[in-house]
Amino acid sequence: MVTRRDLGKIGLAAGFAGTFTRPAWAESAADIAVKAAQQYRGQTITIVWEAGLQSLDPLNFSGPKWKELTGIDVKVVEVPVAEMFTKIMQDFRSGAGAYDALNVIPAWMPDLVNAGALEVLDPFVDKYNYRDELQKIAPTYRDNQMMVNGKIYGFPDDGDVFVMYYRTDVLGDPALQAAYKEKFGTDLPVPPTNWKDFDQVGQFITEFTDGKPYGAAFFRESGYGNFMFQERFRNEGGKFFDGDTMKATINSDAGVKVLTDWVAENKWAPPGVEQWGFVENLAAFLQGQTAMTISWPPYGRWAASYGTDQEVMSWVPKSTIAGKVGYAMTPGGHPELAAGFCLSVSSASKNKEAAYLFIQWLNSESVSLERVKLPYALRDPFRDSHFTDPGYAALWPEAKDYLKALQDGANNGLLDLSLLQTDKYEEVLRQSVSKLWAGEDPKAILDTAAGEWDAITEKIGVDKQKAVYADWASKSGAYPKM
Amino acid sequence: MAAATALRANPDRNFRYWLLTPAIFLLLLVGLFPLFYSLIVSFMRIDMMDTDTSFAGLYNYANLFSDKRLWAALGHTLLITVIALPIELLLGLAMAYLFLEKMPGRQIFISLLVLPTIISPIVAGATWRLLFDNRFGPINQVLGWFAGYPVTALWTLNPKLVYPAIIFCEIWQWTPFMFLILLAALSNVDKSQTEAASIDGAGFFRTFRRIVLPAIWPVMAIAILIRGLDLVRIFDIIWALTAGGPGTMTETISVYTYSQGFKQFETSYTAAIAFLVIVILTVVVVWAIRRMGLAK
Repeated sequence: MVTRRDLGKIGLAAGFAGTFTRPAWAESAADIAVKAAQQYRGQTITIVWEAGLQSLDPLNFSGPKWKELTGIDVKVVEVPVAEMFTKIMQDFRSGAGAYDALNVIPAWMPDLVNAGALEVLDPFVDKYNYRDELQKIAPTYRDNQMMVNGKIYGFPDDGDVFVMYYRTDVLGDPALQAAYKEKFGTDLPVPPTNWKDFDQVGQFITEFTDGKPYGAAFFRESGYGNFMFQERFRNEGGKFFDGDTMKATINSDAGVKVLTDWVAENKWAPPGVEQWGFVENLAAFLQGQTAMTISWPPYGRWAASYGTDQEVMSWVPKSTIAGKVGYAMTPGGHPELAAGFCLSVSSASKNKEAAYLFIQWLNSESVSLERVKLPYALRDPFRDSHFTDPGYAALWPEAKDYLKALQDGANNGLLDLSLLQTDKYEEVLRQSVSKLWAGEDPKAILDTAAGEWDAITEKIGVDKQKAVYADWASKSGAYPKM
Repeated sequence: MAAATALRANPDRNFRYWLLTPAIFLLLLVGLFPLFYSLIVSFMRIDMMDTDTSFAGLYNYANLFSDKRLWAALGHTLLITVIALPIELLLGLAMAYLFLEKMPGRQIFISLLVLPTIISPIVAGATWRLLFDNRFGPINQVLGWFAGYPVTALWTLNPKLVYPAIIFCEIWQWTPFMFLILLAALSNVDKSQTEAASIDGAGFFRTFRRIVLPAIWPVMAIAILIRGLDLVRIFDIIWALTAGGPGTMTETISVYTYSQGFKQFETSYTAAIAFLVIVILTVVVVWAIRRMGLAK
């Protein structure tokens, strides 16, 4: 029988063992990185970062702070997200080694690893005792966006996930609720949790208020529509491929239903919604013109007016709905982990160790918490500790609910499709979305798209792609657990 | 012996060739080398996503014939060219006639008219995209004033509107180019001939066909050729306005080539497309030069 005294001895022994085998436990990953990086004082590391607000993080905050702590200069190469992959590949293929550290969208990883453009990070992770802190990244990101073929190539660094935002004052309006109950015989769901309810509520609001506000608006521009399709298609039970034959199955009933529903939704959404992207949708929601929408986490912060008083945020319309916004998972309960960023080291870098230490420091628990709270940057919470941080929860009155919605989204989120040459498949989806808005038939669009996907797969090699797809599909966030 | 004597008599004869050497070398380096290198690449299997760079023979060229998107892109290019070019020519000619005679403020008007030409096409495209925006764009707003209700025309998405929008932008930007060239040509027409024709009772169209057109034709033909080639390689305005969409409905050959090369990373296939375009253009230009009588 194990007594309390025995437990004490075991605990003491374990404590000693831990102390002797891992003396760095006392130090945080950030401290370890700073101490080790000081040997590179006077050097410069170059990091590729998305142009615009994203890059204000290394330009205004993390870059200068790293320089102050280590004496290493950080040169930020700002690249629009649409060109990042090309720039990274061109640098690697040319052997120029102009970039040391990289921001990489997780869906690109198989391609970059296949090309040999990314450095394996495992040896550095072990050398600088980062494995424990890595484990504290939220499981969806950690388990799905970090490794390729069992090796670490990037640190998940951005908790991008779609969130449903809804106006609590509109959906909670007693008159609206009573009229809804009278019409449908059921209570108005606040918030709607499936697409049938969402569409019913959205259409009802538009009709009841005569479009002031409209029931909902969405990203409909094709670049964003790609993400929206991937999410909704899987929530409707769709699979991208037949796992045995690698034949595309996006033209299934689920796919056709998604596109057909989109066309129907546009009839009660604001006119011209077909062309709405990030800014149009944001402006309408913040100005109180729509009652529900789906977008990335910054919408929630800006709707609460968090950080929008800063000059760099002057382009964001002033929120007229602060304190009136509820946060929830998107209908279907499995939001898209749309895009996101990982921090990686370029295999062509001539300064890999210093680059690695910088990304370990950036990604560490303490530094990343500061970064996700930067009002002007776009990094979203991605560590368990971010979601429960009391400081973050106190940033605005509803911030605790916001963090809960983000954490729920992270726990149930769906990964972007990630294969060899993913962008070719996504390009077909983007074109399909714009064909839909041009009035083509959903079934015909998806039949064509499926044919184009098959042609891409055949060109890459069916067996080669099948193995990559099987690896992706085996991940916890690939498909909803029905 | 005689040659050696001649060289000694002209010691600077070889020297001038030496002076030309750097320029010739530079031209070969930046002109011919990329051309030949691209030709070699087009016979290989290079794409930036794969390490296989083996010899592919005619594989890429064979694929051109079954690539429906490529031929559709050529069709879209042709469509824009055959509509925009005559309109630009006729409008440019009409404007040139209008400004041929001296009038108050003529120079100022001419300067204002040529402004669109000096704007970078990508900037013009981005500006027009804002103007055509269905939510914030002034075009829909102005149309709404006339219609009496909000207009939300999807200029860059609606299949019925997207080509008129592109062609309108193209005409807006490049008609002044035609106007300037034709104005210069018309200014040089011998007025005594047109006046004599007028005295003899010839009408405007007869005078134009028999006297003015033959006089300005060499200049007009060059203008048509230049604008025709510009329209065949149209990229900026389309990229900024529609990026080839909706779907691939407005994808021109330049947009498609860019997309294959820099978005899909099909390096060798893109080189093959480029050579196909070179061949087509060479045939068309040689034919046009002969047809227009420019080769005399």
